[in-house]
Amino acid sequence: MKLLKKSLIAVVIMAMLFGLAACAAEKASNSPTPSTTAPEDSPEQQPETITINFFSNLPDRTAGQGLLEQTILDNYMKENPHITIKVEALQDEPYKQKFQSYVASNNLPDIFNVWGQPSFFQAVMEKGYAAELNPDDYKDYGFFEGSTTDFSYNGKLYGLPRNQDMTTVFINKAIFNDNNVKIPTTYNELVNAAKAFRAKGIQPLSINGRDKWILNLFFQDLVIKVSGNQRTIYDASTGKTSFASDPDIRKAAELFKGLVDAGLFQDSFTSADYGAAQNLFLQEQAAMFYMGAWEVGMASNPDNSEHFRQNVALIPFPTVEGGKGKITDVCAWNGGGYAVSASSPVKDEAIKLLNYMMHPDNWPKIGWQQGLVVPGQNYKEYMTGKENVLQVQLTDILNTATSMSGTPWNDFNPGDWKANVENLIQEFAAGITTVDEFLEALDNVVPK
Amino acid sequence: MTSAGYDSPLKNAKTKARALRYIQIILCALMTVGCVFPLIWLIDFSLVKANELFGKNFLVWPKEPHWENYYLALTDGKVPQYLLNSVFVSFVSVGLIVLLSVMMSYGFTRMKWRLSKVFLNIVLLGFMIPIHATLLSNFITFSRLHIQDSPMALIIPYVAFNLPQATFIMTGFMDSVPKEIEESALMDGCSILRLLFTIVFPVLKPAVMTVIITSFINVWNEFIMAATYLTSDRFRTLPFSIYNFAGMYSSNYSAQFAVMTLSALPSLIAYVILNKHITKGIAAGAVKG
Amino acid sequence: MDRIRRNKLVIFVLVFPGLLVFTFAVLYPIFMSAYYGMTDWKGIGEFNIVGFENYRKVIFEDKIFRTSLLNAAALAFFTVFVQHPVAMFFAIITDKIGGKLESFFRAVFFVPCVISIVVTSKMWVNVLNSNYGLLNKILDAINLGFLKQDWLGHKDIALFSVIFVIMWQGFGYAYLIYYSGIKGIPEELLEAGRIDGANSWQQFSKITFPMLKPVIMVNVSIAITSSLKQMEPIYLMTNGGPGTRTQFVANYLYMQAFSAQKYSYANAIAVVFVIVCLITTVVVQNIFRSRD
Repeated sequence: MKLLKKSLIAVVIMAMLFGLAACAAEKASNSPTPSTTAPEDSPEQQPETITINFFSNLPDRTAGQGLLEQTILDNYMKENPHITIKVEALQDEPYKQKFQSYVASNNLPDIFNVWGQPSFFQAVMEKGYAAELNPDDYKDYGFFEGSTTDFSYNGKLYGLPRNQDMTTVFINKAIFNDNNVKIPTTYNELVNAAKAFRAKGIQPLSINGRDKWILNLFFQDLVIKVSGNQRTIYDASTGKTSFASDPDIRKAAELFKGLVDAGLFQDSFTSADYGAAQNLFLQEQAAMFYMGAWEVGMASNPDNSEHFRQNVALIPFPTVEGGKGKITDVCAWNGGGYAVSASSPVKDEAIKLLNYMMHPDNWPKIGWQQGLVVPGQNYKEYMTGKENVLQVQLTDILNTATSMSGTPWNDFNPGDWKANVENLIQEFAAGITTVDEFLEALDNVVPK
Repeated sequence: MTSAGYDSPLKNAKTKARALRYIQIILCALMTVGCVFPLIWLIDFSLVKANELFGKNFLVWPKEPHWENYYLALTDGKVPQYLLNSVFVSFVSVGLIVLLSVMMSYGFTRMKWRLSKVFLNIVLLGFMIPIHATLLSNFITFSRLHIQDSPMALIIPYVAFNLPQATFIMTGFMDSVPKEIEESALMDGCSILRLLFTIVFPVLKPAVMTVIITSFINVWNEFIMAATYLTSDRFRTLPFSIYNFAGMYSSNYSAQFAVMTLSALPSLIAYVILNKHITKGIAAGAVKG
Repeated sequence: MDRIRRNKLVIFVLVFPGLLVFTFAVLYPIFMSAYYGMTDWKGIGEFNIVGFENYRKVIFEDKIFRTSLLNAAALAFFTVFVQHPVAMFFAIITDKIGGKLESFFRAVFFVPCVISIVVTSKMWVNVLNSNYGLLNKILDAINLGFLKQDWLGHKDIALFSVIFVIMWQGFGYAYLIYYSGIKGIPEELLEAGRIDGANSWQQFSKITFPMLKPVIMVNVSIAITSSLKQMEPIYLMTNGGPGTRTQFVANYLYMQAFSAQKYSYANAIAVVFVIVCLITTVVVQNIFRSRD
């Protein structure tokens, strides 16, 4: 009889479930519009306790930006005991996928990481998923000129950048010195360095080709150095010119292929993810590492070996012989940042938290002084003279830059542009397509 | 008998048989190496410093085992917590799978109703439906129902996707069980449900074992739904811990290997203990089908 | 008696809960996908109904979808013609070995199957890594250094590496099923063959193989459908790269939905995918039935 009872209970539960399913079917038939209700507050919580869901793309909470983020969140909870911050953190690619599913189900966390790039953020702003911010709040925050442009839509502000991003060639001086290889300043020197390292069985440059976007950045750097015009690649991306017919872009593609053929990138670079690529460099198995400026924390991270920390440095992307781009024309933008969900039940609290995080005393100051990031806000007054070598070198490059690119080209168009061009460049890098096929395929996916 | 020499052909055949046996054993031993060596490599390098992986040797002797890798796995990797979640989700799911599949199979094979064949076939059709095709819609449905970050978001689809296979095994088995005992019990006025749990269930034991084992392996190791439907750490299951940890400690391979080893351990231990039942159960299910 | 067996309420209680869960989590989402597939929803904001446009594109224009199906076909081919013969071979010889060793080997061969795909996939990513991976180191150690490869990154090799890993993971299942099939062959039959002076090959081709036919059919049809459904190993090892060389349908639709923001298109892929799986199963079943 007991079992009978149990099975009856099970049936009842299932019946209830069915009711819920029917509900969902009903709701699903309407078009998904931002809802104002949200699941929150289990009954046993005290009324004044507020939980803020924080969705981050920095899963490593013990180093670099992740450490900085966690430090600030911890401080905030200490200062505001009634607030609990629940963090969900995933690596970039899973983060983007999960973000997409949150958006699709109209269920964004209260505060989340965004990339101020049309491919990622434009639709979010346009469809009203991000809460509008008050620009007056940030008058004294010292954001660099133009750094909030890509976080704005129709003149309204929806997010804040956290860093000054720039592509960077990190180098290991010891590997260069020990093997008598010249630190490259031009394309040919880069090719020679690649060949010299290969001859000694050393991986010349580590890159996370599995993640694809890094290859797009590398290509953009080449285009900048060939054409000397930051607009070149964007004009082709928007259909004003074409990839196949622009001589500078064609030249850059040939140079890119030349580097692949010279063995510049490490073995199996197309299957190396971020961690694998970085690890190769941290373990001093690769002489160079191509990544964004957000990795300057490598030089201060005590987990990395003493020898590594003493020898790591960075150089600007080499110029190209006969190219019109100067060494000071750089690929730099404001990418990562934060936004608040428009439908968050604790919207005001989330904005308060955001304002606290990006307050000059927090993200920029702590981040800079602990050698974790290069902030997207004025950090001059926080200079202590104890900055790590990477921070100093990067600041130099930024201060002397004669032009900056803005949003990477693969993020320049909304929709599936990003997925398409990232696939195409990986195919090109893996030797599946030729220069001609690559450029034509790019033209084919330009939005009309 | 072409090779028959002048000395005893019997002896010759014996040495031949012995040689053959050695060859067979050597081949199996090689296969064994193929099956477990990568795992041994994994465990080996979970005990040394991360940078030793870049050395020349493909195995190293961990002179001073770096247990701190396992410490990291247990603390930051949250293996114990994920393990508990996995245990909870798996037990509930498998319990429901068994219960529901027995009930359904009985309804399909023993009860008499017009559409029973149709419905049975619809359920069996589910065998061919890839779970991945439902990820997108289910995510939306679950979040509308506000169960997307709860064990329900895993248990419901786990049960649903294992039901076809379980029903398949159960119905196949029930067909081969004679009805006589049931008939006499029914004559005595026993209700169907009571009959099901007191008389039929015990008879079904071998099939139930098979269902438990196959669905347990499926559920325990499931990854993509766990990664898609769950958001907070609270309910995440073991396979996800590796994925998550790889992000946190992307530059520490040894610690990653430690997490992988620890995640594999519970199922390995269970397998070593229950190995006979497991292999038998799976074999039974396959041959029936 | 018949009345009891026809009791509608009892039938309902027995069948409804299972059907409900199944409908809710398997059938309903497929119907929703079919619906979303007819829209232009990007996973954000409002959307319009666009009819069968997405389906048309998936079926007639999408090269990556076709590549994914071809890759699945390649996987099915290798599973059926490499993994299965090997599994059958080992099933036969372990059966001959007998005793403690037999149970030992049987137990060990199944080990990869009980370990989570996440562990094995990540493990193989490391084993196949060309900078520090086990495989290349072994090749170096046995003086076969010239065979070293970029196993997961090379455009022509990556697919085979992925296929190999999937076959490695699934070997235990195939083996175990053949093994139990062989155990099911009556001893007298083999004995009779031996008395008639049949050699090993004759024994296999005249007795074992014909007796295994039903098992082979089950095993092969499982292999074909599961080849179509592969996702996790690809998601975790190559994510379809380099380019789309190792793309499989399930992973492709996941990427289209969550990375390329083509939500409606991904749903159309999902529906076509389900139909392809169903058709394949029916075709395979029919081929086997007609040959029976």
